[in-house]
Amino acid sequence: MTSPHDQPDQPDQPRDALRERIRAADPAATVAPVSSEDRAALVARTTTDDRTIESRHDGTQARSRLTWLVAAAAVVLIAAGIGVAVLDRGGPDASSSSSSAATGTTGSAADPDASDGAAEPASTTELTLVGGAPLGRCAPPSSAVVAQQDVAVDATVTAISEGQVTLAPTRFYTGQATDQVVVQEVSDDLRALLDAVDFVDGQRYLVSATDGEVTLCGLSDAWSPALARVYEEAFPS
Amino acid sequence: MSSQARQERFALIVEQVVDPCRRYLARRTDVATADDVLSDVLLVCWRRIDEVPDDAVPWAYGVARRALANADRAGRRQRRVAAKLAVLQPEGRATTDADPQAVVEGADVRQALAALPERDAELLRLWAWEDLAPAQIALVLGISVNATSLRLRRAKDKLADEITLRARQTGRGAGHEQSTTPPGRSRP
Repeated sequence: MTSPHDQPDQPDQPRDALRERIRAADPAATVAPVSSEDRAALVARTTTDDRTIESRHDGTQARSRLTWLVAAAAVVLIAAGIGVAVLDRGGPDASSSSSSAATGTTGSAADPDASDGAAEPASTTELTLVGGAPLGRCAPPSSAVVAQQDVAVDATVTAISEGQVTLAPTRFYTGQATDQVVVQEVSDDLRALLDAVDFVDGQRYLVSATDGEVTLCGLSDAWSPALARVYEEAFPS
Repeated sequence: MSSQARQERFALIVEQVVDPCRRYLARRTDVATADDVLSDVLLVCWRRIDEVPDDAVPWAYGVARRALANADRAGRRQRRVAAKLAVLQPEGRATTDADPQAVVEGADVRQALAALPERDAELLRLWAWEDLAPAQIALVLGISVNATSLRLRRAKDKLADEITLRARQTGRGAGHEQSTTPPGRSRP
């Protein structure tokens, strides 16, 4: 099967048979075309999801620092949950699945040694984020995608200071609940991704993350009824 | 470009690229990652709509290629094999009536492709599965047309040799050797 885009066959006489043999082995031969309804939904979803992002590209330079700090804070949520899980299992190596995103992994809510900076509540975790997904790793906010996240939380930014952001969760849809989340320092690699979210002190957010990566571009965003519905569908209470 | 014009152009681009990109991804990754990457590709098309050429599909393949590489690097492919997305799952058509010999042969060809260096295999996939001309393959891979043509020629030879070798080893497909092996080429 060839795609609708496929060009008219290029003359390549001696090896047309080879091309045909490869085509006959096409694993996508059974992929059905997208219906016009699904296509329209994709168009709408893409443009709608990005509208917020586009608006944030305008005149938000002054907040870029906050932007990535708070998005990184969501990463901490993951590690916090994982950290607790690790302690519960008594296996420090079990956190390896998140190690790509979190370095200097500290403790968890139950770990009194977790805090190596300012005094923190018992359920605070501090992490350093290294790396991050490049631009383009954005997923649209569908409940199916949200349902795959390790952490999904309704949280409000309570404080932002130099190099540190604090969020107060009001509801964990999934993941280990902690009292608060604090993040210090993130890598510049995140800048591109974090353009997608505009966090402001005092504002309420829905944040999701998986395997050490915050899911942005609409999945983690300022609280809205529509996004809340997506989360609710993903994790019905 | 006005907002309205932008939307309209994007709709046309989606119409042009979505099915080819879905097939492109279905050939290279699992369903969940394919859906994920497709969303990324469309988002990039939307954000960079002024840069999308009229012949948008090879351009979109290039975006998909990079996005897929990123996804693979992040290990998402492995982690999401079992994941399900509600939208845009490939709907397999009935395959129970497929010719068993064709099925075996298809598997042989895919194995032969997989045995090649990835660079060669990808060239051949783009050539045969995406049905691209060398100039379009060059665009996707970000290399020159001349280099593409040269590499493609070599890749075809390698695949023909690999298929021939496998046919000899398995005792299958001897009848295809003549059609796929360039004259004068043989492999011990």
